[in-house]
Amino acid sequence: MVLRPAIREGERVGRGGALLFEKGEQELVLRSPVAGTLREIRRGPRRVITDVIVETDPHGPEAPLPAYDLEGIRALDRASAIGVLMRSGWWPALRTRPLNLVPSPSLPADQLQSVLISATETGPLMPGAASLLDPDDAEPLQAAVRLLQRIAPRVVLTTSGPHPALDRLEGVEVHTFRGPHPAGDPAVQVNLVDPPRGSGQVWTLRAWDAASLGRTLLTGRFSAERVIAAVGTGVVQPRFVRTVLGAPIRDVVGEVRAGEQRYILGSVLTGVAVSPDRWTAFGSRAVHVLPEAVDQDLFGWARPMLGVWSFYAAFAKGLFDVRPPGGVDMRPGRYGGVRAIIPMGAYEKVVATPDIEPEFLFKALSIGDLEESLRLGMLDLSEEEAALCTYVCPSKIQIDVLLREGLAQYRREAG
Amino acid sequence: MKAALARWLHRMRPLFYGPDAKYGWAWPLFEGAETFLLTPAERTHQGAHVRDRMDMKRLMIFVVYAMVPCILAGWYNIGRQAFLGEGVADWTVIDAILRGGWHMLPIIAVSYAVGGLAELVFCIVRKHEINEGFLVTGMLFPLTLPPTTPLWMVAAGIVFGVVIGKEVFGGVGMNVLNPALTARAFVFFAFPAALSGARVWDVAGEPWPPFGPAAPVIDAYTGATPLLALSNADPGPNAIAALQAHGWTFWDLALGDVPGSMGEVSAVAAALGALFLVVTGLASWRIIVGCVVGVVGCTLLVNGFAGPDSPALWHVPVHYHLVLGGFAFGAAFMATDPVTASATQLGRWIYGIAIGFLCVLIRVVNPAYPEGMMLAILFMNVFAPLVDYYVVRAGARRRAARLAG
Repeated sequence: MVLRPAIREGERVGRGGALLFEKGEQELVLRSPVAGTLREIRRGPRRVITDVIVETDPHGPEAPLPAYDLEGIRALDRASAIGVLMRSGWWPALRTRPLNLVPSPSLPADQLQSVLISATETGPLMPGAASLLDPDDAEPLQAAVRLLQRIAPRVVLTTSGPHPALDRLEGVEVHTFRGPHPAGDPAVQVNLVDPPRGSGQVWTLRAWDAASLGRTLLTGRFSAERVIAAVGTGVVQPRFVRTVLGAPIRDVVGEVRAGEQRYILGSVLTGVAVSPDRWTAFGSRAVHVLPEAVDQDLFGWARPMLGVWSFYAAFAKGLFDVRPPGGVDMRPGRYGGVRAIIPMGAYEKVVATPDIEPEFLFKALSIGDLEESLRLGMLDLSEEEAALCTYVCPSKIQIDVLLREGLAQYRREAG
Repeated sequence: MKAALARWLHRMRPLFYGPDAKYGWAWPLFEGAETFLLTPAERTHQGAHVRDRMDMKRLMIFVVYAMVPCILAGWYNIGRQAFLGEGVADWTVIDAILRGGWHMLPIIAVSYAVGGLAELVFCIVRKHEINEGFLVTGMLFPLTLPPTTPLWMVAAGIVFGVVIGKEVFGGVGMNVLNPALTARAFVFFAFPAALSGARVWDVAGEPWPPFGPAAPVIDAYTGATPLLALSNADPGPNAIAALQAHGWTFWDLALGDVPGSMGEVSAVAAALGALFLVVTGLASWRIIVGCVVGVVGCTLLVNGFAGPDSPALWHVPVHYHLVLGGFAFGAAFMATDPVTASATQLGRWIYGIAIGFLCVLIRVVNPAYPEGMMLAILFMNVFAPLVDYYVVRAGARRRAARLAG
């Protein structure tokens, strides 16, 4: 997305008023979770907007949106349904497969194969449906499904088990995913349920974002409430915080341990490290705090290292699946020197997307051979899978970085 | 103590690291020593924030751990075979261990020292970190040698293996052939007298105690390995009889009570190592099972074609082939080298089966090389990329068909 400010610095914004809009698509907006005054718009390299700072006014006005009931949504045609979704402020929660981008509203109807609503989460310490969806989210979810049915020919729901908000949804094709990460990754689920064919796309949406979308539609009030998890070794009191989108990170995490800490928006696999003086992002569900100090072990490479968390059976954890007493102390250490790819068969165990030979794809990516990478399934592989490959790689190769660079090269060359 | 060591290394670091460092050329040496002592403190900057504790050093040292049964079995066997060859009756386990160590340890020490030096020189010249794969190569190579190998030959072999087998390609992960087998093949073809024939596989007749008088070898003792004995046996279905003529039962072969290369004699020890590698996830069970399947298939085929006039080797039953020569050791430690093996699941099956098949084929139809495992693995090392190429192509075609517009 290329975002443009909808109001100027110093102007007042109502709760739910538009803050930003997509260049060339006035209706595709990002809405303010609070009422107040726009204090500052911060920009990063190439003038990309990174932070929009609103000084809150608890008594500020509400910027109302049109409200719909389920029948009203059913009566919409496709073009107006897309308009409603864009104006709801929840369009940016959609992602495309392939490429993991915010979708273009002008995608021809015959190229959208389906929308996949995922209520599953298997990432490390990431909150999922159990903590983010309430039983009374059933109706908002139904509203979101109705709207998406107007836009896509097929709406898929993926769950990891029964949930009161999900069990009686109508108009969705339900698939159940259980197992270790990346079973809960929507991109992996797309590859298994409805892989994009030719120039086709599948859009994904997290169920809790769909519930927020539905609440916005039903009430006519931008639904900015959000539960965010504060987790990681660096957090003194791990907790769930009920707050609003864009809450300040320091308020979410509370007290942290002494020493330098890394603050990560999202998971430790695919999250982004940010300054604690910034704010949680649109769609943030978790803030991880990891102590930066990495312990060094004497002859750690040759000893049994019983208490260590590992994927590999060369450690007790990987062999017997026992948890170290006192929990897992995850630190952002690399724990080894960078070496050439050694095809140990570890990548295959964490890649769930079919018909991918990870070592060969990664070798093609690492030499920048775009055509070969595409043939070997670069567009299928999800970011979570690539991050898991980075996590397990004994040669300490950053597969996720290679994939990101490959995708960027693809977008440059494909235009 | 750990903290003091970390501080001291941190203080020394500027001497070696950076463009203006006084001993910048020795950076690979310092880095190697530092990470040998302490796990690295580097943090992640890009990509996933957390990483598994597994690294190449741990991977390689665990392969060395897996070799321990083979090392111990071979060590003891060197002493035992020497006393048997000399007809000494009153030897003890301690004697066998002392005598075995006297011959085995210098060979291992030379392999590690000279090969390590070659590795270090290469790393300093090429300015890359020391490849810990040498931990494995430096131990595998001596285990494939007879205990009588002259030390200068060990040195020449390991340098060839490290430099030509690995470093000229860019180090571990880039090499086509298994470096230890490359070294072995080099000494085998360069110095055939030292690695073939009947009189090299045990140290009977060498002075013991060291520098003492040499005991004579008894007349009935040939010193031949079981495979050599089989290849010299009279034609006809008398393979087991030929082995029994030397006093060898199936279990002598399986446990390693025969002359042979230092680490290869005991198939049971190799199987223990293979089990350790498979359980810890460091070796592909597909390759190992594939090797066994290949041996079984080829042996049944050869047995089926064997007539009354066929050489004795044609009549060797399947379970003997599995414990003869270097097959078990090669299947456990050489064929499973992930760098030089196939990297696809289907490819690993094809690669393993082909190695087992070729191993038996070379043994029975090629009179010049009664031991086939080394050549079978090297041959398939060369073909592994081709096997992978077709498996990957087929996967890409399957994917394209599945996702066709």
